[in-house]
Amino acid sequence: MTALWRWLADPAHWSGPNGLAQRLGEHVGYAAAATAFAAVLVLPVALWIGHTGRGRLLAIQVGNLGRAIPTFGLILAAFTLFGYGLTPVYVALVALAVPPILVNTVAGIRQVDPEIVEAARGMGMTEPQVLWRVELPIALPVLMAGIRTSAVQVVATATLAAVIGLGGLGRPIVDGLAQGVTYNPAARAMVLAGALGVALLSVLTEWGLAAVERRLAATRGGATHWNITD
Amino acid sequence: MRLIRKGAHRGRWVALLALVLLVAGCSGGDTAGDDPTETAEEFERGAITVGSTDFSEQEIVASMYAAVLEDAGYDVERRFHLGSREVVLPALEKGDIDLYPEYVGTALEFLNGGKGEATSDTEATTEKLREAFAAKDIAVLEPAEAQDRNGLVVTKETADELDLETVSDLKEHAAELVFGGPPECPQRPLCLQGYERVYELKFKEFRPLDAAGPITWAALEQGDIDVALMFTSQGVIADKGWVLLAEDEELQPAENIVPVVRTDALTDEVEELLNAVSAKLTTEAISGLNRQVDSDGADPAEVAEAWLREEGLLD
Repeated sequence: MTALWRWLADPAHWSGPNGLAQRLGEHVGYAAAATAFAAVLVLPVALWIGHTGRGRLLAIQVGNLGRAIPTFGLILAAFTLFGYGLTPVYVALVALAVPPILVNTVAGIRQVDPEIVEAARGMGMTEPQVLWRVELPIALPVLMAGIRTSAVQVVATATLAAVIGLGGLGRPIVDGLAQGVTYNPAARAMVLAGALGVALLSVLTEWGLAAVERRLAATRGGATHWNITD
Repeated sequence: MRLIRKGAHRGRWVALLALVLLVAGCSGGDTAGDDPTETAEEFERGAITVGSTDFSEQEIVASMYAAVLEDAGYDVERRFHLGSREVVLPALEKGDIDLYPEYVGTALEFLNGGKGEATSDTEATTEKLREAFAAKDIAVLEPAEAQDRNGLVVTKETADELDLETVSDLKEHAAELVFGGPPECPQRPLCLQGYERVYELKFKEFRPLDAAGPITWAALEQGDIDVALMFTSQGVIADKGWVLLAEDEELQPAENIVPVVRTDALTDEVEELLNAVSAKLTTEAISGLNRQVDSDGADPAEVAEAWLREEGLLD
C-alpha cells in the first residue's frame, strides 16, 4: 500500500497524455457519453411502449436478452468491424446501458395505477398529456433507478476501452500488468491506482445519482424510493 | 418481474463494503508459490507446461515445442498468450510454466536491468544470458538461427512524405509523430528507452497498444499513430506495404529465438527435442509462418505442426 501512496503522490503520474488526470477525464467522458446516448435512444421508445402497452413483452425480453451479452466479447467483435477508435467502445457501452433503462422505464409506466390514468382521461387530458403529466411523474423514481443502474455498470465497464488500445482508467491496469507486477512496485501501484479509481468512481456515480433521485422525489412530494428487479 | 421496495441506504453500504473488500484484497501479501515437490512428481509422470507471451510468433514457436514434446510422449499443457515477458518470466521462475521461447538480447537486457551487455554477437549474448539465468535455475538451450528484433515501422505514405529510410531519419520529425507500441515499451531498454538514448528520438506522444498485433496494425493503417513498434520477422509488414526503417546505429542486439527451461523439468531428452527445433528454425522460415498466421488468419498450432512435418521433426 505504501508503494501505492508514493506512486500517487508523484505529480508526474497525474499529468501529461498518459497521466491519471487525463485517464480519469477520458473514463468519465466515455461513461457519460455512452449513458446519455443510451438514454436518448431508449427513452422515447420506452415511454411509448409503456404508455400504449404495445410491444411491452418484446421490450422486456429484449432488455433481459441484452443483459446476457458479454461486453468484453462485444467490444472485441466491434473492434474487428470498426477498427481502432472510439466506435467499438461506444457500441459495447451503449449496448450495456440500454437494458436497465428500457426495462425500468417500461415497467415504471406500466405500474401506474390504471384508475389514475382513467381519471386523467376522464378529466379530458389528451394521450400525450396523460403520459407527460400523470404517468411520467409517477414513474420517475423507477425510471431514474434504471438510468442509475446503467451509469454504474458503464462506469465499471469502461475500463475495457484500454483492452483495444484506448484510454480511461483501464489504461493503468492494462499497462501495469504488461509492465510486470511481480518485480516492479511502480507497475503494481499503477494497477491498484486504476482499480481503486474505477471502484471509487462507480461508488460516487451510485451516490451522486441516488442523491439526484431523492431530490427529484422530494420536489414531487413522493418520499418512496423504488428499485426494480426481475 | 416484480417490484421490490428497497431501502435507499442499502445500496451504498453494499458499494462501500465492496470497496473495502477490494482494498483488503489488494493489500494482501503475495500468493505462496507452488509446492516444488508437486512439480517434481508431475514431471515424473511426464507432465510439462509450455508457455508463451502475447504475440503470434510466440504462439507458433511454443506450439512447435509443445508438439515435439507431445509426440515424444510427454503430457503437455499449453499456457499460451499469458502476457508480456514481465508476466511470463515470473511464471517460469515460480514453476507455473516449465518453458517458453525467448529472445537472447531482450531477455538478457531484461534480466540485467538494461546494462547493455547484449551485442550483435549471438554466441556471446547467449553465454551472458546463460549466466544471468543460472541463478534462477533456468537453462538456456541452443539458440535458433532465426532472429526477431524490435523495429520501427511506418506506412509507405509517411516514408515518402518525410523521406524516411533509416531510424535516424526520424530524428528531425519525431516531435510531431505519435509512436505506438506495447504497453511495456516505455520501461524497456531496447524499446522506447533505447530509441530515446541511442537515436535521440523524442516522440510527441507514446500510445500504449498491443504487442505488434491487430490493434497496432489498425492504428497505423488508420493514421492514429505514425510510427509503430513491430517485430522484424513479421511478414505482415511487407504484406501491408509498410516500411521497416533500417537500423543505422547499434541498438537492437542479436535476438535469436531460444528455448528457456526450468532445470527441474529439463532432461537430456527434452533438451534434444527442443534443440532439434532450434537447429532447423531460420529467420526466413519463421517470417513465412508469421505471415500465414498474421495475414492469412491461419491457426498458429496448425502452422507450427505443418512446418515440423515438412522438416521431418514430426511424423
